[in-house]
Amino acid sequence: MGSGYWSSDVYETAERLRGGASAFGYSDSGARSVHPDLDPFDVGQRESRDSDEHPESLAIAVLFDVTGSMGSVPRALQKKLPSLLGLLKDGGYARDPQLMFGAIGDATCDRAPLQVGQFESDNRMDRDLERILLEGGGGGQKTESYELAMYFMARHTAIDCLTKRGRRGYLFIIGDELPYPGVKPREVSAWIGDELPQPVAVRNLVAQLTRRWDTYFILPAGASYAGDGQVLGTWRGLLGQNVIELADLDAVCETIALTVGLGEEAIDLAAGLADLGDVGSAAGAAVQRALAGLGTARRALPAGRGTGATGAGGTRSDDSDLDFPSGSVLL
Amino acid sequence: MNGHVIVVDLGYGDAGKGSIVDWLCAAASRAGQPVRAVARFNGGAQAAHHVLAPSGRPHPFAQFGSGTFTPGTPTFLSRFMLVDPLALAAEAEHLGRLGVGDPFGLVTVDRGALLTTPYHRAANRAREEARGAARHGSCGLGIGETASYALAYPADAPRAGDLTAPRALLRKLALLRDRLTPDPPGGRGPGGAPGGGAQGPPPEDVAAVFRAVGDRVTLAGDGHLAGLLRQGPVVFEGAQGVLLDEWRGFHPYTTWSTTTFENAETLLAEGGAAGGATRLGVTRTYQTRHGPGPFPTEDPTLPVAEPHNADGRWQGPFRAGHLDAVALRYAVRVAGGVDAVALTHLDTARQFAGRLGICRGYRIGAGTEVVTAIEPGPERDLGYQESLTARLLAARPVYGPDGDLPAGPDGGDWPDAVAEIAGAPVTVCSVGPAAGDKTTDPAGARSR
Repeated sequence: MGSGYWSSDVYETAERLRGGASAFGYSDSGARSVHPDLDPFDVGQRESRDSDEHPESLAIAVLFDVTGSMGSVPRALQKKLPSLLGLLKDGGYARDPQLMFGAIGDATCDRAPLQVGQFESDNRMDRDLERILLEGGGGGQKTESYELAMYFMARHTAIDCLTKRGRRGYLFIIGDELPYPGVKPREVSAWIGDELPQPVAVRNLVAQLTRRWDTYFILPAGASYAGDGQVLGTWRGLLGQNVIELADLDAVCETIALTVGLGEEAIDLAAGLADLGDVGSAAGAAVQRALAGLGTARRALPAGRGTGATGAGGTRSDDSDLDFPSGSVLL
Repeated sequence: MNGHVIVVDLGYGDAGKGSIVDWLCAAASRAGQPVRAVARFNGGAQAAHHVLAPSGRPHPFAQFGSGTFTPGTPTFLSRFMLVDPLALAAEAEHLGRLGVGDPFGLVTVDRGALLTTPYHRAANRAREEARGAARHGSCGLGIGETASYALAYPADAPRAGDLTAPRALLRKLALLRDRLTPDPPGGRGPGGAPGGGAQGPPPEDVAAVFRAVGDRVTLAGDGHLAGLLRQGPVVFEGAQGVLLDEWRGFHPYTTWSTTTFENAETLLAEGGAAGGATRLGVTRTYQTRHGPGPFPTEDPTLPVAEPHNADGRWQGPFRAGHLDAVALRYAVRVAGGVDAVALTHLDTARQFAGRLGICRGYRIGAGTEVVTAIEPGPERDLGYQESLTARLLAARPVYGPDGDLPAGPDGGDWPDAVAEIAGAPVTVCSVGPAAGDKTTDPAGARSR
């Protein structure tokens, strides 16, 4: 026995973990924990706000599975990011798109089951993509913690497109597995910091999420459970026609752009595909197949919601009616 | 040595468990059956098991398993371990500098393991200072406070599982601080600091850092160890020594920990490998003790060098003396027997040939009768243990049949002498700190 060789001062330890020594630098040991900027714990709201520069913000969030075979998604996104923003703006699909990226793992075994960046109007979100920790593990149980991500998006986002203009944001979840049946209080407490009185079934979560977010699930072909009837069926049961099967992961940015364009009724599919041809994208065929099933006019909010959003101040006070009233979560 | 091994110190600690575990892991790796994990089953961050890194620099293993320098040897901290997240981070950093890649990635912690916090530490030090000269030889790291707080408030004691439950963790830390470092009477706070009020860093800060540590290690529940045991040999690394055991040591100069094979055997049984491990006891060729307490064979004139064991501010002085056969036999007995013995510091025995003896009995106080055995008392009878302490504090060592002069064996005869005392073969002999200084052939150690 000895007398305590290892300093246990809390602030020295904090410095240590923040990455003073090279062995603890983010790129090194960081391979095992969430970058602070992407940590969803106790962050309040991720905000997409109007500004003088961007008066008509439109929130677009892209969350992807970073486990197993899905590890190539962030790289594909990074490569195509400039063209995504270009397509959205130049094509007139959205005037002031604000993008947020995030990553989804498995709360039952990963160190980073949820990572969320900030809404950005320019290529600053590129930095968030670089910082996303790729778990590489996970997978195998056919289940990932999509429900934790959906919970965060339902409860911890504030988007002016909805509160000021009654237009929902766009949420794309890219993955190849099933959500867990419900979001668990213990996991919400551990990773997000909220205290839930009881679990929330994923179906109820989706109902609340989709009041704020027009939500799509993109299932890449060739991913581990792609074409799996159970995965596809479960997501279709939750999101209806908003499940997109994508044959070519390289076409993910174009698919997102055209989906937004269709949703904003800025284009029809033919016009969107023509736009892709104009910018020299080879993704047209894949996008066409993927989006052929999408109908139109899904943008209307459920009756009585969102349309009368402009009061005297031009904003609704808040989204409290969209939140989970305390103690009233449904099972 | 195939299969699972439990390594336990048969003295007061510092016998060289770390270097034995290091050697076991290195040898198993060379033999093509690498150790699946080193598991800790008692104590906490106060351990300091010195092992030489491949570069030759020493590392005092406190919470990481002493097999860490054999690449691919993870550490499992069982629920019997008291985990200090802050010290773990410091140790991980040091291991990183010694060339261990991603040290945190090697660590899995049972969710049920108690956490040691800065508040335990502050309370520990305040208590030892209040004892003044009557110190118990605590390390000042809050180990005892961690154990006693958990006994008093089992539901409120922070555990490793709370590392990823920040709200619960914060609540428990705030409670802990209020209870352990309260307003002091007479305006003297813990640690002798003037003023009152809760001591130590704000619970929010501690919680944030704990959570960051929790993000880096792996937390496991029941069944993790069972998996490890199925996948390969597991080395159970004990901390401290049997003579410091909370129930069998010489009360009150003991530790808040079961230092025998008991916890490890419990874990093995839970993991479906009951009785499936070799019980390896470790002893030096002489005796050492950190801090106060009975030590009949203490000999301040012994010039044994101790590079790593300086006097501790909280533990008190480092003491050395002759091998105590009476105490060693008692340790083997209360530990439930050993299958084999690892004998360390044979180099010292050779260096001081003729000056190191083996104590065969005691005379108590003014008595002339030679006592040759310490009788174990009833289970968990601290009153009895305290009476042993009183007798041992008055004990005068008897080295030879005829007098008080040390009469130890020649260097070469040590393994046989120790095997006879322990009632088990000496299967590992050590002549230095490195894994290469170990041999499984006592005869080989003799001739070197």
